[in-house]
Amino acid sequence: MKIGIISFAHMHAVSYASSLKKMKDVTLVGIADENVERGEKYAKQFDTQFFNRYEDLLKTDVEAIIVTSENTKHYEHVLACAKAKKHVLCEKPLATTMEHMKEMIKVCEENGVFLGTAFPVRFNTPVAQAKKIIDEGKLGEILAIKGTNRGTNPGGWFVNKELSGGGAVLDHTVHVVDIIRWITGVEVKDVYAEIGYSRFSDIPIDDSGIITMGFTNGMFATLDCSWSRNDYYPTWGDVTLDIIGTKGTLKVDAFDQKINVYSNQNGLKWHPWGDDMDYVLLRNFITSVRDGRPPLATGYAGLKATEVALAAYESFEKKTTVILNH
Amino acid sequence: MQEVLLIGAGTMGKEHASAYYAMENVHLTGIVDPRQVEAKKIIGDHDTKIFASLEEAVNELEKIDCVDICVPTLFHKEYVKKAADYGLNIICEKPLAYTYEEAREILEYCKEKQVQLFVAHVVRFFPQYSEARKLVLEGTIGDVGVVRARRGGAFPIGNGDWYRDPQKSGGVILDLMIHDFDYLRWIFGDVERVYAKGLLGSGIQNLDYALVTLTFKSGVIAHVEGTWAHHTFSTQFEFAARTGIIEYDSSKEEPVLLSLRETEEAKVGVAVPQSPLRKSPYFTELEHFIHCLETGEQPIVTAEDACKAVEISNMALKSLQTGKPVILSEGGEL
Repeated sequence: MKIGIISFAHMHAVSYASSLKKMKDVTLVGIADENVERGEKYAKQFDTQFFNRYEDLLKTDVEAIIVTSENTKHYEHVLACAKAKKHVLCEKPLATTMEHMKEMIKVCEENGVFLGTAFPVRFNTPVAQAKKIIDEGKLGEILAIKGTNRGTNPGGWFVNKELSGGGAVLDHTVHVVDIIRWITGVEVKDVYAEIGYSRFSDIPIDDSGIITMGFTNGMFATLDCSWSRNDYYPTWGDVTLDIIGTKGTLKVDAFDQKINVYSNQNGLKWHPWGDDMDYVLLRNFITSVRDGRPPLATGYAGLKATEVALAAYESFEKKTTVILNH
Repeated sequence: MQEVLLIGAGTMGKEHASAYYAMENVHLTGIVDPRQVEAKKIIGDHDTKIFASLEEAVNELEKIDCVDICVPTLFHKEYVKKAADYGLNIICEKPLAYTYEEAREILEYCKEKQVQLFVAHVVRFFPQYSEARKLVLEGTIGDVGVVRARRGGAFPIGNGDWYRDPQKSGGVILDLMIHDFDYLRWIFGDVERVYAKGLLGSGIQNLDYALVTLTFKSGVIAHVEGTWAHHTFSTQFEFAARTGIIEYDSSKEEPVLLSLRETEEAKVGVAVPQSPLRKSPYFTELEHFIHCLETGEQPIVTAEDACKAVEISNMALKSLQTGKPVILSEGGEL
């Protein structure tokens, strides 16, 4: 399969490109980037063609595109891919407004291309194992979930609202919401959020938050989406879930497969040794598209997760619980 | 010598009694509990008398400096008032009462009767908690943004199964999480908003779980988890701040871990780690209260603090019921 990448603005592009290069049945036909320096650098690194204009990449016989541009540009890029009849895997969050996301899904459908949202955590082996345990009914009925997806302030365009659409809340709500929806099969009904602005640096953006959600089946959950990890924390952040069921509890720490490294340079750092989830995410996208079925995490999944993040901002602004329509 | 009368020979009563027995300036003069067997187990060889009621103890004992009330929450008001009527100083287990109004009523009653009231919010006396507070207040990690606290384990078993009835225990929000509410208020001052979700009222038996978000006037956001849904008791906290993070997890604390190889007779057991201190937090707490009693010093945790902790629990319960955030108004009233 011939695959192209639009923009290396998001650092995940590097990981995705590395994964693609490991696949014998995939050709990375090109990288499009409005930033010439960046685009040329990665085109050289991954031994592929550079396009300054993504339109030119879409004119080739490329079959599928990975969109890893800034959040607010996903809309334009995904629409262009769809109209050029290319399947798309879009970095999360799918977009920054409900209207845009709905249109992206609609246009992809109209053009007969699959739209996937890059939710790699679904392909994290411990998370997938947790889903299996729950699917087997071992926990009974799920009553509550406590989640965290904390991280480090990524800086750059992530803290420029015009490009990112939002800070920590938008960046770090979608993964865990998606996992909860995927694991339980229920939808978020109400959202309440406490959000912190410039709590961890002077940068004027939301960098912390606790989001509380009620679900259609009566279950509830909270999520800590804060960029609260500092330079000396042993790792970048986490994805954890504590799941309370009628028959027991299940603790999931997606990146707990690690070794401790103590160095004079960096103090304590955790070095991961678990499976590479990005690789499996891309394999799922490629094989799904090739077999004519939607990828595991669709555009709709991307929309539903982002909807919660947007509701969180609304909740904090209004200081009240936001009810989602279904 | 301070003469202490303990009311209640349950789990907390036993803990408090062993602390008193270790104090040189305190004599545990009596235990009030109709369950003689339980009381006898606590007393062992010590010179402590057993009474069926507070009235009986007051009539028979020559001197009582202080009563220590370790009975289920629903009897707190009754015993505090009785003790106050006898003019006795009081140590009372947490939560002081079910509602803020009731807690205030108890506090005012003690003031009126001119007796001291100490409420046993023991978490303030756990060194890992008091040290973390000190580090935060000293600015070791800069301005705090997000706090996470967790507490809980298995569903508790009390005398007559009083925990089973959420009306009697108040569930995790009133009985358990109040520890962290008080602790966090001790560091960050008064809360402004409280939002809560929990299992209370869901009708599920012998299980409780709640997730509560407190937002302080300073803007600090605190996430508090209370659980009676897990197997093993543990507590955790994390302060994430501008220039650092302070983290503690009791389940990772194993200063002494005894694991015995199974014998044929021995049941399969889990090795429970021990974390020994020269003085247990309960000892430190009660020693402090006795010291305050003797000197008239202001305690580390006041009855006013205890009322405020109940108030936060009440706000959480109200939020849980209404599905809305509960905002503390300017006057401090709900």
